[in-house]
Amino acid sequence: MRGTRRALLTLAAAAAVMIGPATSAFGQSASAQAEKITFNVGTTSDMVSPNPFKACCTSEYEMLLLNYNMLFGFSAKDLSPVPELATDMCQPSADHMTWTCNIRDDVTWHDGVPLTARDIAFTYRFTLDNGLSTFSDYLPFDPTFETPNDTTLVWKSKEPTIAPTVPPYIPIIPEHVWSKLDGKPAKEIRAYENIPAIGSGPFQLVEWKNDQFWRMEARPNPIFGTPTIDEIVYHIYGNNEAMVQALKSGEIDYAYEIPPTLAKSLEGESNIKVYKGAANYHTNLAFNFGGQAKAHQPVYGTPPETQDTANPALHDHAVRLAIAHAIDKKAIADVVFQGFAIPADTFISPDKAYWHLDIPSDQEYDFNLDEANQILDDAGYTQKNSDGIRIDPKTGKPLDFDILAITNSQGSEKSAELMAGWMEQIGIKFDVRPVSESKAYVEWENGTFDAYVWSWGGDPDPDFNMSIYISSQCLGWSDGCYSNPTLDKLYKEQRKTFDREQRRQIVYEFERLHYEQIPEIALVYPQIIEAYRTDTFKGYRPTPENGGNLLFAWRVDSYMNLKPVTAGSTSGDGGGASIGLWIAIGAVAVVVVGGFVAMGRRRGEEDEA
Amino acid sequence: MQSRRYLLRKVLHAIGTLIFVLAFNFVLFRAVGDPVKLLTRSNLRLDPKEQAALREELGIDDPLPVQFVNYVGDTLRGELGLSFTSGRPVSEEIADRIWPTVLLVGSATVLSTVFGILIGIKGAWRRGSAFDTSSLLGSLVLYSMPEGWLGMILLIVFAGSLGWFPTGQMESTDPMTGLAHVGDVLSHLFLPCLTLTLGYLGEYAIIMRSSLLEVMGEDFIQTARAKGVRDRDVRRRHAVPNALLPTFTLVFYSIGFILGGSVIVEAVYSWPGLGRLTFDSIAGNDYPVIQGIFLLFSAAVILCNLLADVLYGYLDPRVKEG
Repeated sequence: MRGTRRALLTLAAAAAVMIGPATSAFGQSASAQAEKITFNVGTTSDMVSPNPFKACCTSEYEMLLLNYNMLFGFSAKDLSPVPELATDMCQPSADHMTWTCNIRDDVTWHDGVPLTARDIAFTYRFTLDNGLSTFSDYLPFDPTFETPNDTTLVWKSKEPTIAPTVPPYIPIIPEHVWSKLDGKPAKEIRAYENIPAIGSGPFQLVEWKNDQFWRMEARPNPIFGTPTIDEIVYHIYGNNEAMVQALKSGEIDYAYEIPPTLAKSLEGESNIKVYKGAANYHTNLAFNFGGQAKAHQPVYGTPPETQDTANPALHDHAVRLAIAHAIDKKAIADVVFQGFAIPADTFISPDKAYWHLDIPSDQEYDFNLDEANQILDDAGYTQKNSDGIRIDPKTGKPLDFDILAITNSQGSEKSAELMAGWMEQIGIKFDVRPVSESKAYVEWENGTFDAYVWSWGGDPDPDFNMSIYISSQCLGWSDGCYSNPTLDKLYKEQRKTFDREQRRQIVYEFERLHYEQIPEIALVYPQIIEAYRTDTFKGYRPTPENGGNLLFAWRVDSYMNLKPVTAGSTSGDGGGASIGLWIAIGAVAVVVVGGFVAMGRRRGEEDEA
Repeated sequence: MQSRRYLLRKVLHAIGTLIFVLAFNFVLFRAVGDPVKLLTRSNLRLDPKEQAALREELGIDDPLPVQFVNYVGDTLRGELGLSFTSGRPVSEEIADRIWPTVLLVGSATVLSTVFGILIGIKGAWRRGSAFDTSSLLGSLVLYSMPEGWLGMILLIVFAGSLGWFPTGQMESTDPMTGLAHVGDVLSHLFLPCLTLTLGYLGEYAIIMRSSLLEVMGEDFIQTARAKGVRDRDVRRRHAVPNALLPTFTLVFYSIGFILGGSVIVEAVYSWPGLGRLTFDSIAGNDYPVIQGIFLLFSAAVILCNLLADVLYGYLDPRVKEG
């Protein structure tokens, strides 16, 4: 028995030695925290890299948006270009080959060095000269950049261009930091770590722990002002459920991109608001028109031999039209996306309000199986095989299509399955084949599919989204090598139209023709679901202002406007963790005490014996 | 002589398996398509010139046998290629993540082994008692429970609803030092470690219990009892050491499964270890990293099996003779 008592006493002393400093240190950490206003964001996507020339996806672009400034930003109203580092819109020469831009003189880099027109010229030239293709599409026709003084940038293009007004989505980097990498191989430039990231934006990236978090600290900025929050910490979660639980427990103030099913589970939760954000991309049923073999010009090696397995029936507009009438887009929005999606019409999503053409409802392809059947009957697809599938009179083969459903693309599989059910009722067979994204790329390149269900996002400017349907994009950005000379012509025309309103009319014409010709069927515009705690911060501002996203949008408005709900109310994982710490220490103590007790009892038994 | 031949046979067997894994790894990851195409469409906009440079860098235009020789050479030098996503060497990516996994898997292995064995011993020795029945039932339930599911339930209850523990990660974002840092890591470690411990404890308890029951029917136990050795000494000196052998081997054999289980548990708890790296690399088509981890996991399992065989041989000489 004496042994047990001694062991327990030793353990208690050890625990006191351990827990004392541990908890007092916790207290210090919490009080240091209280002075700083930290806004905690939850996301499931880590940055690929803080290096602008490795930017890939939403997380990097959010970091770049906050850390850097661009020549032009996007308006809150409709995402049209607005001056950022420029003082006003750039002025073109009569031939639209020379553009002159006036640059602000009050912006400094995070290290205090003034930002001048030379930095902008350097950034653009650096991008082009070093073959950094991440942004080079924004600088067409081999331009040169001159800076007669610190506040003037002259953009000279070899051909007439609207590029400066598109505008170029290129973060401006400091010449005094990046010039040492100029002329180095692209690989070396992309390997530059860039932490802390010297930029000129209202926040600066100061810390990044891969797969854990990244931290951005507020910096005064003459363009956007000074935010109330002192820092933003982006917490990276391994799955959506954990992120939602973190929001519930108060570890984070805001959660980005929650799947519809989890969003439903948050409804009615106190102090949490679920927000249906912008519909800024569209899911599509994209048809394969074949022709990959001809377009295939590999840089090395020989092209694959057997390709172009696309079903020729898809070249018949009547078949595509019948399919369009046999898809209930509202059902896809309600069933697959749980109501967090809008039935789509054109390929430019409605958040790009200036460019989005709203097809009048009486001209939309309504869900009408009788009409779809009639269209196919009228087009001569009257014979059916024993399974009830219509026969193509030209080839004698059934209308049996190989449809790829992309397993990692949200809603793809379920949408494809729903469509297969409707198609059966018009005598068309959809053989749905679920494939991973990587497998889908292989199939896409080889042209070994009839259609797939995937999605497209894009820039606020419609140029990129339009380019997807251009003949020359076969095996570039095109889904299924669609080719239409009128679309090609319209695309070129809009690139040379300098009047914005005139250009819009051409874009509308393109959208209308695309809708009529059906190279793809835009299914739904899924909405990004965001959720935030109402008891920690207030002042979220959507971008665009009419129903856009709160964060991860095209502007920094929310971050600049956020204020704590009550003074000193900062969240963070300090509070939750301290209880966890006590329990963890308790558990360790139980294990150790258990061990000692067992040993003591044994010794006791031996004593008795 | 006998023992040396036994050892040699086991080592050769391990090397053979490792060579097979190396070759299999090479073939498997070349069957997935053109990595440059995967990159260009999903992640980076690369022009043809850059694509060509990348192809040359990755060496994917060389004939397959040349690629294989390069691959084996590189692997032996510890060069596992560059990650598609981060551009960093795979060996560095793995090195950054190995310690969190060692901490999680190591602590869970020790805890599940110790508690599993203790529960198994107590259950077997008092066969049919209330403790035995309930622990057997509990072990069976835990044994058959998927770790991902168990982890999610613990996360929802103890981190989300009660808020006792952090919902993920290995440490808080606020910088901490010394004991505060240790405490912080402990509180983050608690739930994932508990999940893995519960997930594997059942298996060890069941094996230990049946192994001990088998030993308890042996003649030498009867003899010991007949000699008048006290019950506790029969258990400690005669029964348990003999019954430990199969459990002991099982622990080594199941390191591989625990590593596998950690992939799910690390994803659930956003634990920044190798499991999470595996999960992210699969989602991001980062084949060089997946290939590197696959090789490391395979090598770890082969090594553990070899260790188990060798140690088992020494602990139980009958094995070497067989």
